[in-house]
Parts: sequence; C-alpha cells; structure tokens
Amino acid sequence: MGAMIEVCGLHKQFRTPVVKEGRFAGIRTLFTREYRLKEAVKDISFTIQKGDFVGYIGPNGAGKSTTIKMLTGILHPSAGEVKINGVDPHKHRRRVAQKLGVVFGQRSQLWWDLPVKDSYDILAHMYRVAPAEKERRLAELGELLDLKEFWETPVRKLSLGQRMRADIAASLLHDPDVLFLDEPTIGLDVTAKRSIREFLKTLNGEFGKTILLTTHDMDDIEQLCRRVMVINHGELSYEGTIEHLRDKIGLPTVIRIVFRGSYRLPAQEGARMPLQLRLDGAEGEFRIIEASSSEVLIEANRQQAKAMDILRMVGGWGEIADIHMEEPDFEDIIHRVY
Amino acid sequence: MKHWFDLYAVLIRSSIQSRMQYRMNFVLGTLLASLIQIAEFLMIAIILNKFGAVKGWSLHEVGYLFAVMTLSKTLYRTFASDVHHLERYLTTGELDQLLTRPMPVLLALMSQNVRLMPAELLQGSAVLYWSLHGLMSAGQITWTAVPYTLLAIITGAVILFAIGLATAAVGFWMTRINELQTLTEDASQTAARYPLVLYPSWLRSFLLVAIPVGFVNYVPSLFILRGEYGPWLILAVALLAACVLGLALTFWKFGLSRYQSTGS
Repeated sequence: MGAMIEVCGLHKQFRTPVVKEGRFAGIRTLFTREYRLKEAVKDISFTIQKGDFVGYIGPNGAGKSTTIKMLTGILHPSAGEVKINGVDPHKHRRRVAQKLGVVFGQRSQLWWDLPVKDSYDILAHMYRVAPAEKERRLAELGELLDLKEFWETPVRKLSLGQRMRADIAASLLHDPDVLFLDEPTIGLDVTAKRSIREFLKTLNGEFGKTILLTTHDMDDIEQLCRRVMVINHGELSYEGTIEHLRDKIGLPTVIRIVFRGSYRLPAQEGARMPLQLRLDGAEGEFRIIEASSSEVLIEANRQQAKAMDILRMVGGWGEIADIHMEEPDFEDIIHRVY
Repeated sequence: MKHWFDLYAVLIRSSIQSRMQYRMNFVLGTLLASLIQIAEFLMIAIILNKFGAVKGWSLHEVGYLFAVMTLSKTLYRTFASDVHHLERYLTTGELDQLLTRPMPVLLALMSQNVRLMPAELLQGSAVLYWSLHGLMSAGQITWTAVPYTLLAIITGAVILFAIGLATAAVGFWMTRINELQTLTEDASQTAARYPLVLYPSWLRSFLLVAIPVGFVNYVPSLFILRGEYGPWLILAVALLAACVLGLALTFWKFGLSRYQSTGS
C-alpha cells in the first residue's frame, strides 16, 4: 500500500480578458490589460491510496473537470502540487501519460473511421506495448468486455455502449496503474451501465487498479466507490466513506407501520402532526409525521434512535401487521451536500 | 528518436487509411483542387504573357517562383496537417485528448487528418519542370540548379511550417486565429509567388523580416537562377530556416503551457 495520487494545495485560476463595450470593442478587448479572474479550483488537497476506488462528484461547473485535467497534465495548476505515483504530470507529462488510463465519456479516443482493432494497433505502437503482450491483453480484455462482436466494425458505427467498452479497453491496453474515468456511463441504457460497472468492479477488485471516477450517476458511486470526494465552488466540501457521508447529512429513515386492527397513540386525540416522541427506556427520539386509521408513518434519524428501539415502543400501541423501511436516497443526500 | 519517427509514420498511415474510407470524397476533392490549381496558374500565365517580363523577371523565372512556393506549401501541409487547424482543437477542447497521450502534442497534431495533395504536387512539379527546362534551353542555368532547387523546396517547407506553428501558438492566448492565418499564411504565400521586386520596399521588408516567406523561393532563386551572391546563400537560407524553426518551437512550448482548455 502506498499513495498513488497525491494532491497538495491545488489552485487553478482562469484569466479571461474583460470585454469592452462601445466603439471598437473588439480591438480594445484584444489589447486590454484588464482581466477577470475566475477561481475554478481553490486549495484542494487529497491522497488516493493504491487500489482505491474513489468517486469524485459535484455539480456542473464545480471544478471536477478542471481537477482531472490538472491530474492528467492537460492543464498547468496556478499553484500547488500533483504527484501521480511520485511523478509530477506537468514536468513529466509523457511519463505520467504512459502510466495512466483516461476515459472521457463524452469523447472517444479511438480512430473514428477505422475498425476497432486498428485503434488498438496504433495505441500499442504509441504506448510501446510489445506485440505478444498486446495480443495477451486484448484476449483478456476482449473476453471481459465482449469486444469480439464488433472487432472489425468502424468506430463510428458502434452503439454508445459498444463504443464505451471499446474505449475502456483502449485505456487499459498499456496496463496503467491508475484509471481516470470521466462520466463513463453517460447516456447508456441500464444493461450497458450494469456491464460497465461489473467490469470496473473486477478491474479494481481483481486487478488492483486505482480508479478515480467522476459521474452524475449516484448509482455508479454507491455501487462502486469506497470513498467519495465532493467538490463545490472549487473547494472540497466532503471527503470520506459513503456511510459516513450518509450519517453526516443525517437524512431520516422513513418507517411505515401497518397495524392489524386498531392502535392507540401515546398522545391525546387530535394532537398536531408531526408529533415528537421520546423513546421509552432508551436514549433518542423520533417523529410521527402521519397517522391514519391503521397506519403510522415515522421519521427517525438512525444516528439518534435505533430502529429496534422504535419498533419495540410502537409494538406497545397495537398489533403490528407489516413494516416497511425506506433508507434515505443517496441522490437526496448528495443534493444536501451541494 | 526512432520510436517517434515510426509512430509518426504509423499515425500518418492510419490518417490516410481513414480518409480512404471516403474514396468518393477524396477523388472529388482532388479533381476540384486540380481545377483550382490550373485556374491559378493560368491567371498568372495570362498576365505575364500580356505584359512580358516584369521588372526584369522572365515568364520562366516567375513560373519557377510559383512552383517552388506551391511545392514547399504542399510539403508543409501534408506533413504537418492539423497544425494549421489548431483553432478547431482549441474551440472544441479536442486538444485535451492529444495531451493524454504519451507523445509530443505537436507530433500528434501533425499526424491528424493527413491529406494527400496529388493535384498540388502534380501542378507544382509540372510548372517547375517547364520552368527549369525553359531556363536550361536558354542556357541561363545548368543541371546543378536541380539539387539546389530541391534543397530550397525543403528549407522552404520548414520556413512555412515555422510560420504556421508560430501563428497557431498565438491561438493559446486568442483561441480564434483564422484571421491571423489569412495574413501570415495565405496572403503572404500568395504574395511571395511573384518576384518581391514588384512590391514597394515596406512590403518587401515585411515579407522578408516580419513573415519570412521571401526566403522560401525568392531569395534562393537569386542565386539558383541568376547566380547572384553565391552558393553560401542557400546555406544561409537553410540556417535561417533552422533558426526560425527553433524560435517557433520555443514559442509553441510556451503557448502550450498557457493552454486553458474549455469547460466540460
């Protein structure tokens, strides 16, 4: 175990010239010395360990892509340091690129008009992958990603799902240590999403690749990532496990209880909802938000009250017929962080 | 070094293969380019035929200038294809992808969308043959002009490439560079198809100093066709080409470090 990606005090400012108004605006803008500074990334630091699977999320324009571009050496940071396996991607862009797999969901890195297999031949040349090694890896990737069915098809004729599989395989041909995935499931149908997720799981679990994933699909994050980093307005607002994020935001669990026959609330008739209650014989409280003739809807923060304690207490009000529990939706949690 | 050369060859081959997927487009494009080339040369031929020699430059000599410029330009545009189209990469953010590859961005750019230019090559060679043949029959030059001319075409391509590269690098600050390219590439190259003595001295200086297109064909021709100065002139032009290339590369690297990319 060791640090694979180290980021320390990363800043990125964009300078755009102030657009003049009035006569000869275009020419005056050209020679202007006034700039508007936009801080896209402000003082971001984090470390990603070897073998980690980290989700990097945030609303549009929060600075996700800018960060990824600095990690891959596309953009030079205004301040701060990036190390990919100990190497600075700005001083040694090509050396880092050799150890990196990058997939941009919105764009293909394959040769649009050539058969899929030709792209792999070109990439093997580019990354100095020996022919025998290339064949071995393609056989492996081909099986895992089902590439054979469109092996001879020009890239432009692939479906989006096929293209994404082909692109992911391309990013792995040179056996990189780290994989950056920028929205790899964007626009895919449920089946295609699932097969990509399965593959990424295998890649991380069995092959031990370090993966950094940005996405707007919270199911991706929930199913794949061990850790998440949330960026907002250019700053990291959260970094840690998904479970901890859930706890921290503390969205309530909703419990619907159906009684057999009648039941009796511990409060007087006509009490106004929501009704705040303390647990008997245990620490904590919960709320009744709705009560009808045979059903009660309860909201409880799992940090504050254990579900078992609540059920034990509710069991005293009448005979319980059915219980339905709804955990807070991950998407709602993320919405709260944004 | 060998690795880069091999890779460049592989990428150029793939580029041409891609283009051959659209064979009809290629044939049509070549035919159209031929028509344009013929029309362009006819125009010059007609003007020169009407006025005879211009300021002491014969029809064959002007044809020579024209041909060397065409061939240098063809060489530059074939082997450094998309350097001229950097603007597209900047506005769409396509450059990002080239930057994730373990190779110099310039080499990647040069090998993208390579276009064979048979029409330009054929027209340039035909006019060059006609010019050299005419001048040799008149006894103005000997066969030694041929190797010198080949050298001039290559150094000329290097100079045009350097100008194109420096212009493209401005794009890292301005993004839109189409207008600038019209000035530094298209207009300058067209102007330098004629002997520079035709122009007022300020324009001549501009085409020699600011945008050194004059060194592609005019300056070498002073020695090759007219025996002025001496063989060292060709060497000096080659040296100049190397310097201009070095400067352009430095400027390009500096520009690349200022690359801002696009929003996602």
